[in-house]
Amino acid sequence: MAMLSDRLGIHRLPQHKYVDAVRWLPLLSAFDRFAVLALFDSDSDSYSIQIHSFKPNPLSLQPQSSWLSPSRISSLKASQFLQKTIIAASTFSGSLHVLFSDSSDASLESEISIPEGALHSVPVSCIDIMDGGGECVTVGEDGKVNLVSIGNSNLNYRRLFDSSGLVSYTAAKWASPVEFATGGYGFSLQWWDQRKPGGPVSQFKGDWDQKLTSGIVHSIDIHPSRKHTCLAGGSLGTVFAWDLRWQKQPIILSGAGAGAGNTAFQSISESEVWEVQYDRCMKSNTSSTHILPAMICSEDGILAVIEQGEEPIELLAEPCAINSFDIDRHNPSDVICSLEWESVAILTRQ
Amino acid sequence: MPGAASDTVINGGALVPFSDDTNHSLPIYPLNHGLIAPISRLAISWSHGNSLRVSVFAAETSASAGDQSCGGKVLEVKLGGGDPEISDAHLRRIAYGSVPPFALLQSRRSEVSALSKAPSPYQLDWWEHVLEYSKEITSLLGGPKLSPGAIIEDPNEIVKKGEEPTCLKAAWELMEIFYADKQSQAWLPERLVDWLAGYDSLFTSTQETIHGKLVNFQKELVNIQVIEDDPRYWEAMSSALSVGWLDIVVKMLRLHGSYQLDQLSNRELENGHVEAVAVLISKMPRLRHESTAGNLGECFKSKPDFTKAWERWRSQITKLDCSPYWIQCGNHQTREGLRNMLQIMLGKTENLSKATCYWLELYISHFLYIRPFTMGMESMYNLAQKCIQLKPPISTHRLTGLMIGIIGENTEVVLAECSREFGPWMVAHAIELLTAGSEHAEILLHDEHYNLGGISIVELHRLVYAQVLSSHALTWQIAPIYLTACMKQGMGLLENLLYRQSVQHNDLLLKNIEICRLYELDNISSNIMKVAGVYHWKHGRKGAGVFWLQQAQDATRLNRIAQQLFDSVGKSISDESFKQWEGVIELLGSESKPAGGLEFLHKYRDFKKSLQQVSGGKSTDAARQAKVSLILLMKNPSTPQRFWLPLLYDSLKLLNWKDCPLLNVSETNLLLNKLQELSLARLRPHFIEPTLPAEAISSIRLALATNLGRAILEE
Repeated sequence: MAMLSDRLGIHRLPQHKYVDAVRWLPLLSAFDRFAVLALFDSDSDSYSIQIHSFKPNPLSLQPQSSWLSPSRISSLKASQFLQKTIIAASTFSGSLHVLFSDSSDASLESEISIPEGALHSVPVSCIDIMDGGGECVTVGEDGKVNLVSIGNSNLNYRRLFDSSGLVSYTAAKWASPVEFATGGYGFSLQWWDQRKPGGPVSQFKGDWDQKLTSGIVHSIDIHPSRKHTCLAGGSLGTVFAWDLRWQKQPIILSGAGAGAGNTAFQSISESEVWEVQYDRCMKSNTSSTHILPAMICSEDGILAVIEQGEEPIELLAEPCAINSFDIDRHNPSDVICSLEWESVAILTRQ
Repeated sequence: MPGAASDTVINGGALVPFSDDTNHSLPIYPLNHGLIAPISRLAISWSHGNSLRVSVFAAETSASAGDQSCGGKVLEVKLGGGDPEISDAHLRRIAYGSVPPFALLQSRRSEVSALSKAPSPYQLDWWEHVLEYSKEITSLLGGPKLSPGAIIEDPNEIVKKGEEPTCLKAAWELMEIFYADKQSQAWLPERLVDWLAGYDSLFTSTQETIHGKLVNFQKELVNIQVIEDDPRYWEAMSSALSVGWLDIVVKMLRLHGSYQLDQLSNRELENGHVEAVAVLISKMPRLRHESTAGNLGECFKSKPDFTKAWERWRSQITKLDCSPYWIQCGNHQTREGLRNMLQIMLGKTENLSKATCYWLELYISHFLYIRPFTMGMESMYNLAQKCIQLKPPISTHRLTGLMIGIIGENTEVVLAECSREFGPWMVAHAIELLTAGSEHAEILLHDEHYNLGGISIVELHRLVYAQVLSSHALTWQIAPIYLTACMKQGMGLLENLLYRQSVQHNDLLLKNIEICRLYELDNISSNIMKVAGVYHWKHGRKGAGVFWLQQAQDATRLNRIAQQLFDSVGKSISDESFKQWEGVIELLGSESKPAGGLEFLHKYRDFKKSLQQVSGGKSTDAARQAKVSLILLMKNPSTPQRFWLPLLYDSLKLLNWKDCPLLNVSETNLLLNKLQELSLARLRPHFIEPTLPAEAISSIRLALATNLGRAILEE
């Protein structure tokens, strides 16, 4: 396992609150950078979304503004839309909240929401905002798939599909303005097209592992330049890619199933992979059949970059779980992640 | 337990009468329930952590009370009892941080005992591991005692302001000095001097201290015109000197007026005296390992060297004390002040007693000036007793009990003090230091005690701490580390803990299962999955339910839920909506996985698919394929009886295939038998009649008969 620690700045910043999710805010100006944290304060049993300003030298996170949430945050995304920064958060009670923040000082300006009960009857598993921000997809374990269009002062939603609980969805990611992918139990992935309602246009369920155990997809990423490939991470340290052009064959990048028959690659983790994102910082082979390098974080405290056919590069090995992370889109060398032990870690790569 | 409240409601909504003038040792937590109506019932139960959940029920009110009155309220009351200096969040941070050093120490212990095969690992350099562990813990408890000095020092700044020290850290360091750091045994008194220098300010809360005196003097400093004429100046200096804060004393001496350039010529002799004392102080021999940066005094590592230097230094002081020039020193205050300081350095009990504020300071001053050659623990306890007699404490500070326990070499007292004053975290972690301290303590703490239910004291305190961790939503995940370090009851409690976690949210459930995986508790993890499966199933998330039951390989429950599932499938049998079942069927995966009766769904889907292909074209191959699926389904014992008729009805097209008979004689017979079985089953109670046209059965029978005839001819 290659280590990069000598060229890595690692800063752990205790928050004294449980960090449910963490994101960088899309860059507002060249000088100010902000991160948004979904927090759970167990001392006061309150939930909030806080915007922190990030200063690289000396490295610090300063709380800038805060919004109290009625319920615990289950999924958090940030994007830019209509010259504003929007933060979308879904909760354990099934509501969706969209916060608009000022594009210069990141102060919160307004909030619009869809109350609990309308979108999902259970915690919203995952949301994703379309690039450019117009639309947000929400999925839940109740098997509902909703599309929410974000307006200046209101949210409109429509139900794209309802499996009535026969299939639960745990992850979602936009691929194009009309297509998105979802993931769920049994390492399943579904491909949807807004123009073709009534169900997923394509389904993937690979029977790659001969073992009796299967798992859940926790996170999906799709690279803008490779819209036909869906990268997914889930249980048992599993990271795989599904190329729509080769429907039945997953490309396994890491995980328990990976060991079978192919000992050439190593599994960096054996527990839940909570999040996957393509790592825009790593330069790589650009052949269209090659899967681009991806960063993962896991329950056993690993933050690593994995690449097809290469040794994984371990960036962090914490004694506690890393529950989420985000690579700064504009400064891809900077990574922020939330740690189980009520803190966040910021990595700066040279 | 719910209990009926007294029927008379006392003023202010109190349920139980209490008066303000009774003694206030009982903590009172006001409840803001905001109910207007009188309270009829209270229910109190434990909530997470150290909180009580109090449910307050109002008495039933008449309808006239209006819509706004509510029937009751549930409140959470956080009980105090935590450390007064440290917030809960900070304590949690300490708890998280102490996991890695604790785990490392435990794994080292098992390594060492595996290597030596001896019952106790302590003959090796075990204490070095313990010391490393202790240093890690210390670093968690707070930053350095004093912040690094500013680049340009303020000459008037006597007391440096660093991070506020905490009693917890002070207590931990005290334990480290006495138990873990075997090297420090040789210069124990000097370690205590350093300790007091760092933590004297903590005692300010209960009594006057030298630190407090210096801080007050610092505040006054700007208002004092002629510093050497102020008695407080001399008092502060002699106090600081008595506990060995040499750099502070020398710095203060240099503030003396005779150093000022315009006065230097007039007060040459006086200044000579001041400087002589300052030099003597900065040259004080100390028996210590190394000098911390900036500290004055000359350090000696070996006792003979130190003894020699000490005698030389003492003789220099005596010489100065007897100097005839004192009479010529014009300033009375200076003369008396300086000579007092010389007396302190010569170890005059009376002067030391006057200079120090409380017994601990007096105790330290004894080590510095009266018994500089003390090594190890010899007569430390007697001296402490003596100092306490000389300066009886007004109230006891939480650190003094611990201190006395330690110097009295009484392990039980130390444990009790740790537990009473600093809580379960402290005991569970400090016990590692105690066991490293002496063989006696090791035996005492590791022996199993009958009255503790057959567990050792070490285990008891770990269990207690693990319980504290388990009760909080954010710390329960680290409790297993401590539970697995408990030989006797740890695993049982760990199983309890894991069973108790909610299965409601996937993240939490998966974290729970991950812990099971780490400790190879497959049985528990499979039970948790079953619970999760049933939970999701009951809440209408059929797919998730099937998934978890499948993960748990629970064929029994899968069979049970399969029957329920078929009820809904049966209705939509020829519908387009069968498409929505695709997801569940995909989830069932390959046949190698246990799916219970649900595997039928898989085959049924395949049959449906091939049937669809047949309905489109006229390909005999496709029809044969569909026939194979049909026979497989009908042969399979897991195919529910209620599906037989719909299956046969759906396959009418196959039975009446134009080109050739698709079913051979034996296959047709099989289907006929099934049909016969079905008509018998109809007579039994609880038979579910499929929703099919009335003529269904006769048309199937006809088709089968025709097919049989054709098949016989064919053969």
